Amino acid sequence: MSQPDIRTELQRAAPEPLLPIEKKLIGFSLGIGLVLLVVLAVVNYFVPATF
Amino acid sequence: MSAIETASPRASWSATETPPRISEDWLSVIIGLVIFVLALAVLANVDLIGWAVTTSVWNNLGQALGTASKTYAPLGGAGALLATYVALLAVLSAAAMALKADVRKFALAFTAVFWIAYASWVVGSYASFAAVTPAELQRFGVAWSLRLTNEGGFIFALLAGLIIANVFPRFAETIKEAVRPELYIKIAIVILGGFFAVTAAGKLNLASSLLLRGVAAIIEAYLIYWAVVYFVARKWFGFNREWAAPLASGISICGVSAAIATGAAIRARPIIPVLVSSLVVIFAVVEVLILPFLAQTFLWQEPLVAGAWIGLAVKTDGAAVAGGGITESLILAKSAAEGVTYQPGWILGTTATVKVFIDIFIGIWAFVLGYIWTNHINVTSDKAKIVEIWQRFPKFILGFVLTFLVGLYLALGTPADVASKVPVAIGEANTFRVIFFILTFFSIGVLSNFKKLWQEGIGKLAAVYVISLFGFVIWVGLIISWLFFSGIKPPLAG
Repeated sequence: MSQPDIRTELQRAAPEPLLPIEKKLIGFSLGIGLVLLVVLAVVNYFVPATF
Repeated sequence: MSAIETASPRASWSATETPPRISEDWLSVIIGLVIFVLALAVLANVDLIGWAVTTSVWNNLGQALGTASKTYAPLGGAGALLATYVALLAVLSAAAMALKADVRKFALAFTAVFWIAYASWVVGSYASFAAVTPAELQRFGVAWSLRLTNEGGFIFALLAGLIIANVFPRFAETIKEAVRPELYIKIAIVILGGFFAVTAAGKLNLASSLLLRGVAAIIEAYLIYWAVVYFVARKWFGFNREWAAPLASGISICGVSAAIATGAAIRARPIIPVLVSSLVVIFAVVEVLILPFLAQTFLWQEPLVAGAWIGLAVKTDGAAVAGGGITESLILAKSAAEGVTYQPGWILGTTATVKVFIDIFIGIWAFVLGYIWTNHINVTSDKAKIVEIWQRFPKFILGFVLTFLVGLYLALGTPADVASKVPVAIGEANTFRVIFFILTFFSIGVLSNFKKLWQEGIGKLAAVYVISLFGFVIWVGLIISWLFFSGIKPPLAG
């Protein structure tokens, strides 16, 4: 693909609505990520770094 | 030179159609381990690589260069520089041969890369740029200094590369065979494992605590950053899936390698991850020129927060780990000026730990995306396979882990007379780590042809990057670094 085609492709790309599987991927990623961060933060609080 | 073309780690080693016998990834492990093993000869009272060149802060150029070990002091600075050049030329030309590159072309290009990059480093060590403390200013007879420390020379190497890329693009094209930031930084990271082991050996509990906190970085990069950037790219900017997934991986995980792994996993056209990779390199340049100085100004009292933040915010291995090196120098200098002298190695070690932890999971994440894409989105007979996890695993991490474990064993598990020589041995290997950092910075600069990239139509991609990076990634990275690393200080020196 020539380079000018990339500019055109990006400008003229037909919209692709989010599929349910994509919404699930985003939702599960964020949900699991936030829960795990909270768990780690709690562990971090109760098990402080040792020097 | 096309920034697109050269940002790809697979782009231009091979002049032939047949694939190389060995990957750049494995080569970095071999070269890093060879340097590490040669350095360990010091344990048997044999100094094999003490002739490597080092640079001190200078105001008289004749005194700038020296040898890594006093054993080779008669060689002199110029002799050490020449010996280092010849040795690296031989080793890397052999690597080029293994990768089926045009060895003659590589050797000529590497000659230019090495001398320009190292000259930039030497300039960066000039006292008016690098001297930090009042005592140093007095010693070198200068009234004022930029106080960049001698590792500010990385910035000079980067700027030299940027000038070549943007003012002399034809010359940049000429030397592109040897412009290999991914190879150079991977070798440096393998060597860094041993250096980090020696640093960690004195404070094993602290090192373990840092490793545990590195887990937070994985969660952040893969589960939080990726989802948000993907959403922004798809929903706000209207990118299709083929563009949005590599873009999200490039911005949120680990730049070039993540974009390429994701592109391959979702069966995107090769041009897409390559274009994203180019963008990642450009933004890494901007970040490395700004973030270490912000860290020095605002985070110098929380050195490990600064180290973790650089690892989370800068999105290529090369720029992140080398940026961690600059941050460490700047913060150690500022702390020293305030009367607190920390042991070197801990800030850089934190950045490297965060980055390595993130890298480990690239293959797994690419497989997850590949599974979803090939089974639910673009259903195809070419399904994602479990073996792809290993295929996309960054092998240089094995080298890092190996040198770390060996270094740790030698420092803690050997008799005192052997253990006492380990820091000297690793110090010699570390001389090469610094040289590979210099080559990395210079190469990143040479890849960053801003005008060319803009002409290639990446404005919309850049907009996603700007919004995600400066509106989200940097700040969330800072919060999480603060949450997990604040209050943890490096040990004091002495």
